Amino acid sequence: MVNMTRNTWKKGSALVLALTLGAALAGCGGNKAVEDTAIAAGESKTTGAADKTLTVYTAGPEGLANKLVKEFESQSGIKVETFQGTTGKILARLEAEKSNPVADVVILASLPSAQGLKKEGLTLPYPGAKNADKLNKDWSDPEGNYFSTSASALGIAYNTKLVTTPPASWSDLAKPEYKDQINIPDPSLSGSALDFITGYLSDKGDNGWSLFEQYKANGVAMAGANQEALDPVITGAKSIVAGAVDYMTYKAKAKGEPIDIVYPQEGTVVSPRPAAILKSTKHEENAKAFIDYLLSDSAQKLVSDAALLPGRTDIKAENRANLDEIPLLKTDWGWMGEHGPDVTDKFTKLFK
Amino acid sequence: MKYFLQQRQFKIWSMVLALLVLILLIVVPLAEIFIQSVYRNGQLQWSAPFRTLADSDMVSVLTASIWLGVCVILGTTVLALPLAWVMVNTRLGQWRWLEIVFLIPFMTPPYIGSMGWILFMQKNGYLEQLAPGLAGLGGAFFSFGGMVAIMSLHLFPFLYLLLRGALERIGGNMEEAAAVMGAPFLYRFRRIVAPLLLSAFGMGAMLVFVKTIAEFGTPVTFGKRIGYEVMTSEIHKYISSWPIDFGKATSLASVLLTTCLLVWYAQSLVNRKYTYGLVGGKGVRRSSMRSSNWLQWSAGIYVFLLLLVSIGIPYFSIVAASTMKLRGIGLAWNNFTLDFYRELLSWNSPSMKALMNSLWLSLAASTIAVFLGTWFAVLIERSRTRLQRTIDLFSLLPNTVPGIVLVVGLILLWNSPWIPIPLYNTYGMVILTYVVLFVPYTVQYVKSAFTQIDPSLFQAGQVFGAKPGYIFRRVLLPLIVPGMLAGWMMTFTIASRELVGSLLIMPPSVQTSATYIYAQFEQGQVSLGMAMAVISVGLTTILLILLEVLGSKRKRNAS
Repeated sequence: MVNMTRNTWKKGSALVLALTLGAALAGCGGNKAVEDTAIAAGESKTTGAADKTLTVYTAGPEGLANKLVKEFESQSGIKVETFQGTTGKILARLEAEKSNPVADVVILASLPSAQGLKKEGLTLPYPGAKNADKLNKDWSDPEGNYFSTSASALGIAYNTKLVTTPPASWSDLAKPEYKDQINIPDPSLSGSALDFITGYLSDKGDNGWSLFEQYKANGVAMAGANQEALDPVITGAKSIVAGAVDYMTYKAKAKGEPIDIVYPQEGTVVSPRPAAILKSTKHEENAKAFIDYLLSDSAQKLVSDAALLPGRTDIKAENRANLDEIPLLKTDWGWMGEHGPDVTDKFTKLFK
Repeated sequence: MKYFLQQRQFKIWSMVLALLVLILLIVVPLAEIFIQSVYRNGQLQWSAPFRTLADSDMVSVLTASIWLGVCVILGTTVLALPLAWVMVNTRLGQWRWLEIVFLIPFMTPPYIGSMGWILFMQKNGYLEQLAPGLAGLGGAFFSFGGMVAIMSLHLFPFLYLLLRGALERIGGNMEEAAAVMGAPFLYRFRRIVAPLLLSAFGMGAMLVFVKTIAEFGTPVTFGKRIGYEVMTSEIHKYISSWPIDFGKATSLASVLLTTCLLVWYAQSLVNRKYTYGLVGGKGVRRSSMRSSNWLQWSAGIYVFLLLLVSIGIPYFSIVAASTMKLRGIGLAWNNFTLDFYRELLSWNSPSMKALMNSLWLSLAASTIAVFLGTWFAVLIERSRTRLQRTIDLFSLLPNTVPGIVLVVGLILLWNSPWIPIPLYNTYGMVILTYVVLFVPYTVQYVKSAFTQIDPSLFQAGQVFGAKPGYIFRRVLLPLIVPGMLAGWMMTFTIASRELVGSLLIMPPSVQTSATYIYAQFEQGQVSLGMAMAVISVGLTTILLILLEVLGSKRKRNAS
């Protein structure tokens, strides 16, 4: 008797709860799709195009990416969804979504990763991109698989309150006066840090490792991605970042933080930031329009305003050192792309 | 008789449905982890996870995780046990608002809390700026001991709640009896309180252990500084940075999963052996033994110091960092600004959207989780049949498994090409993840409320001719509502600050307050991130206080 009644209310409650859950989750699942079609429908009424959306995965800086997307959206009427993260995060997301790709265009902060995407056949060539001929030849793919629309140079950033005479060369950082004062970004998290390390090694050969071994002996600490390495230097917990991304330093300096950057005399590495269309894209025309936009005068102007080096050789930056003012190492991008994984492995083991 | 059979049949069907839901939501994603770890490059390789483990680094990382877990159990015990005793046995226990204050460390996202400690203790940090003489302390703090301290200060509220509940149930009678017989305090504690506390402590210690080895925020901020690597930071590295290696990540995740299940099993053995029936029909009475003035004072000082260290120091850093014009200048009155709060709270800003996303996503998730969890808990009853025990086991699994492991499993499952529902990369996926991660809270709270109800209450309703629906509405529901409410609150609080899952499953262009904060740190806008932390923890705290006030009003009206 008791069982019977308890079962009856259980029947009611269980059914109601199950239905609620099903409906709620179904509703949530549907949300996005409904939203998308609504947007698409709204757009198609005004412009007559089929699908006016584009998904871009982009490595920082966030402010620049937002400005680029906003201007592109207003010029083209295409709605852009963005995912922002470090180069490593973006590549990881691409890998996770391999069976079910979402992104149409990626903007990375490391050339070898774009070479890797090309090698795996994941990129869609766009040889007809407008203004592609004005790009720095060394940084982009001749077949149009990727275009480096901006770049950053790597240098030695230092806290001006703690360091009065800045170090002039990479080897200075091994001096005892800088013991335990220096951060270096983690090459497994930062594409540009990897570019610096592989670039240095491609110029110096295997002897290059002795520099990093000296760094380790001098208490240089591997500290997260670029910003995580720079931040303690701004607050004064550390004095120096080896292989700092210059635009981040310029940005903090412009705010008034006690920080500055030097490019060592023996030369440094410039890290191009390639954009590529993914082969899996379902919005090919929109993606091509976005690449054309990134190469346009106005987008390149936004790039130089963000203290990055413009990808086009005919556009100069006003608020920072231009390419011709930065001493460069003789870098071999082919070697760097090929040896990236091994170098990352060896380097992170060395600095563990 | 036919009616009875129908009932029985329905009960079975409801359980089967619940089991199916649990399998789909929780068991399959976890199974995916094991499958992926033995399935490399399209081939079945049984030895793959073992090869990953044989890599000597991995063994040291696993032992590092376990050692950290053990030390944090010790740390939280040292903090929580005296606190629970103080709150049950001294006049401080009358201050109910303290209960919510004690929860603040737990509500603070762990990576924010660690960040606060780092900013305070580092070279040229706030401690050095406030008291240059104490600069030496910083070096000692950046060590394994410091990491254990930070994590213990974050997790102690969790153990405290369990221990306080248990101490209250023990009541005063037994201690009084011993005192009458002339047993001194330490003897009473050793021979009476400690054995009775053991089962609650075992449960708490197990959860603290799992939460520690599953924690990601502190290892990624503080652990990295001191070069202490644990399983979660390794797993996160393999699935979110280049070169990506899902095989290694899932192998590590399998190991972590197995460790947690073993700990859980050991705990349940202890639990079975040392559980005593404490709740009789007579109700519990507080001890009438009054503690001395001296004890009252030291209790007060203890609580004050604990609050100073667990809330005062990290929040000093967080608030200071959120109001600084230039971080390079440090603490100075002319360096003070509220601009970051203004930027954050301006309407339609990305930060406002992130905050709103956090709120509605966790509201939706906690509401679904409460209904789902209540359904499971009601089906589990007192877990008498095998089916009920299975539902019990499955529905509590997410609480014994590191969040990051479950999230990886969910991604593997819901992003597979053969899944018919395109849930991945939608808000639905986020809600689903939160629901799966936090459904055990409701199950636990409702289950404990349910098992305390005497079946005679239902029989009484039945005798007076009430229909089953009526009994459900007027007898069962009012009695389990407090449990549902507690589950809802817990889920909402934790979901609104959830980071690891959110980082991995947010659709493009969508941010929550937690991922927003993380992104600000990545972009060098530390002040903005800290301001967001203050606002989101503040909002949650206000909400909890409101609920507490409303709750106590309701109780007063009822009596």
